[in-house]
Amino acid sequence: MNVTVNVNGKPYTRDVEARTLLVHFLREDLLLTGTHVGCDTSQCGACTVHVNGEAVKSCTVLAVQADGMDVKTIEGMGTPGDLHPLQTGFWEKHGLQCGYCTPGMIMASAELLKHNANPSEEEIRYHLEGNYCRCTGYHNIVKAVQHAAEIMAQGGQSGQAADD
Amino acid sequence: MSTLKPNKVLRKKVTRRRVLIGLGTTAGVLVVGVPLALNAGRPALVEYVVENGTGPQEAPFNPDLWFEVTASGITFYAPKMEMGQGIHTALAQIAAEELEVKPEQLTVKQADTARGYAGGTMFTFGSNSVNALYTPLREAAATLRELLREEAARQLGVPAKNLTAAGGQFFIAGRRDTLSYGKVVEGKQGEWTLPDKPARLKARKDFKRIGRAMPRVDFRDKVMGLSSYGYDARVDGMLYGAVARPPRYGATLAAATAGGASAQPGVSKVVIDLKANFAGVVADSRTRARNAVKKLDLRWEGGTNVNQAEIDAQVRAGAGVVVRRRGNVGAALKQGTRIEAEYSTPLVAHAHLEPLAALAQVAPGKNGKIEVWTATQYPQKVMDDIHAALGKDREILLHPTQLGGGFGRKAGQTAAVEATRLSAATGRPVHVGWTREEDLQQAFFRPPSHHILRGSVSSEGRILGVEQFTASGDIIWPASMPEFVKDTIGFDPGGVLGLFMPYDIPAYHVTNRREALPVPTGFWRGLGVFPNTFAVESFADELAHAAKMDPLDFRLNNLPDTEDGQRLRAVLEQAAKRAGWRTPPPAGRARGIACGLDVNTASAQVAEVSVENGQIRVHRMSVAVDPGMVINPQGAKMQAEGSVVMGLSSTLHEVLTVKDGMIESANFDTYPLLTLRETPQIDVDLLESGDTPYGMGEPIIGPVGAAVANAVFALTGKRLRDLPMRL
Ligand code: FES
Ligand code: FES
Repeated sequence: MNVTVNVNGKPYTRDVEARTLLVHFLREDLLLTGTHVGCDTSQCGACTVHVNGEAVKSCTVLAVQADGMDVKTIEGMGTPGDLHPLQTGFWEKHGLQCGYCTPGMIMASAELLKHNANPSEEEIRYHLEGNYCRCTGYHNIVKAVQHAAEIMAQGGQSGQAADD
Repeated sequence: MSTLKPNKVLRKKVTRRRVLIGLGTTAGVLVVGVPLALNAGRPALVEYVVENGTGPQEAPFNPDLWFEVTASGITFYAPKMEMGQGIHTALAQIAAEELEVKPEQLTVKQADTARGYAGGTMFTFGSNSVNALYTPLREAAATLRELLREEAARQLGVPAKNLTAAGGQFFIAGRRDTLSYGKVVEGKQGEWTLPDKPARLKARKDFKRIGRAMPRVDFRDKVMGLSSYGYDARVDGMLYGAVARPPRYGATLAAATAGGASAQPGVSKVVIDLKANFAGVVADSRTRARNAVKKLDLRWEGGTNVNQAEIDAQVRAGAGVVVRRRGNVGAALKQGTRIEAEYSTPLVAHAHLEPLAALAQVAPGKNGKIEVWTATQYPQKVMDDIHAALGKDREILLHPTQLGGGFGRKAGQTAAVEATRLSAATGRPVHVGWTREEDLQQAFFRPPSHHILRGSVSSEGRILGVEQFTASGDIIWPASMPEFVKDTIGFDPGGVLGLFMPYDIPAYHVTNRREALPVPTGFWRGLGVFPNTFAVESFADELAHAAKMDPLDFRLNNLPDTEDGQRLRAVLEQAAKRAGWRTPPPAGRARGIACGLDVNTASAQVAEVSVENGQIRVHRMSVAVDPGMVINPQGAKMQAEGSVVMGLSSTLHEVLTVKDGMIESANFDTYPLLTLRETPQIDVDLLESGDTPYGMGEPIIGPVGAAVANAVFALTGKRLRDLPMRL
């Protein structure tokens, strides 16, 4: 069955089976492998994307349900010269190690910052509870989101990460 | 890339640990490959010099370290796998230090098996990457620097000593112009020859990169979603595979037919090989392959029906092999205050976030070349398994991808063998990516352990004697090793890590025993370190309380006056200081301390806990680590923090149980990991006691469980001796 999904601002039409999950549609049909799969069952958050502006675990949505919708993935967040503040934040504050959870963390955090420009540590922890990370000590992730909030408050998209 | 072809061996000799090198040149490119050989327990260097013309087969060893120098910079092919531990960055800064280049002038790429020695250096395990490569990599980089310096001197017509290397170029004494490394390579005519004298390594006081934070070389791609993991490997024309799984460990495929699978949409092939216990499906999407594999008609036979209670009964400390016997423990236990305790740790999973995955492309013909892209810690193991499955004469080129976590689980990569079988059967590239359920159940696990300790302390708080019995499922012994050999040896070397109490104990007997379990067990971060340290450092705390002494003072009182003892003392004192050990904890909270020594790294931790709504809550972990020497403080701290979180997850949550011969949990709903919300404040202090960097990936996980258990005891008076902790 034909579906058309606007992904990162571009319409893609593909013939997919009804049972195809959005995450597989993105990764296999569109070759957007930045959205990761950790569990296929809505429990790890690695596959988080935005559907019509809301953070959604893309393994819980069928591709056909996204027909006609706007999907944003990590690939649509920034460009090498113009990273999204969250990408800068995770990079500069070392909010990752293997990086497998990172796209999901960034997409989930983006939703938080949309509704709450200056989240407290507690709010970040609460909001990201559904995103597992097996590598980090987690609290750099909190710092990364706070750092991104600061960059955004200063109106900045920052392009270059520099380590401390 | 043709410039990377190493060339014919001209001369080769094993030197006294001196440098290097394979030189291969084409115009404007200098390629240097350095083979390492194991010698006297550390990598030594084997020299060989090559000439243009032929392929790598003729090299006596595949080079372990590859550099490529061009006008645009230097590329270093990292021989270790990046699984989040930051090894590519650490190696880059070691190389950049001696090369005298800025980090941005050095590009790090993952070596594949054509540019690296899959069997040796590429195996990424045991927290040993930095430790093993620190000196050889410096020697190689320094030699490359001197090679360039001599050639620059020749081109400039000045003595080499008049040239100072910095920022990827040579500054010329008394002149304003400079000559970049790239220009030196461009201007080179003819063969390169190695300098006669070994290159001098920089003094530590002159280090500009080692010991400082450096931007992670892998983070830009990772935050952009551009990094490629095993699950992400893609080539044109690829198909997707799925494989049938036995319902019980050890079950064999007695009969199999395609059943309804062939008729499923998109299925291009059903592959059945009873001898290999293999039945799989190839289809044009992962969804279709996974669906079709359920329609295969399979009859599994045999295997184990074991249940958890039987495993618990099997892993009981008692008889075994005496691995330490010092003093008369029987007599010692008759003196002072005597206590006895039993501890246990359960079967757990690695739960790396990226499930096993691989892409394989097998060229047609019986001996068609095999190309594999996969996330593995141990390329040689994957290649051996593929050779065993498809014939040993086939050439294999393995491209290690980024790993979405490893923790020992990716020492093998079954998905790579499966993808290779399916590709060979279809003639198409095939990707196999496991589900979380497959990853959790069709795995090997950290084995359960059981510990019995008896000990006595004097009224002055000195440990008089300890008798210790430990049992663990196998860790290192491979399934392929004959049982009688394992039984003759009697214990598994992996189970010895973290086993010994680091204290000065006049009478100390340790008996260890291995158990071959019907459930697959094996490597897990730090091997025995986490289970053993939990037991011995909980027991040390019990001894301290038996002696009515402060647990920190008790440890300091019993540490030996050796180098290790002093290093442990230092980390204990630092962790205690950071935690405010000598000041009362906030109301409703208490602290516990624990320490350990693993792969020469000393660490100590203080946990601060409370109990809320009947649940243990960890508020703070204060960690002090002495890894000898630190290459990248930021990276080292991150490794420590990650170890604490993984250790806490094991301490508070993780347990697998077996029913009817299979792990019961299939996903994170019944196997929850520690979440961000539960994670405490973690402070890490790094101490340096020498000039050799030891490991950072595993040692810190050791004391986590005991620190928490000891804190819970201090708070509640309840001694929790079984993991995961239940109040
Ligand atoms: S893959 Fe979607 S939540 Fe884990
Ligand atoms: S960085 Fe590896 S799972 Fe988060």
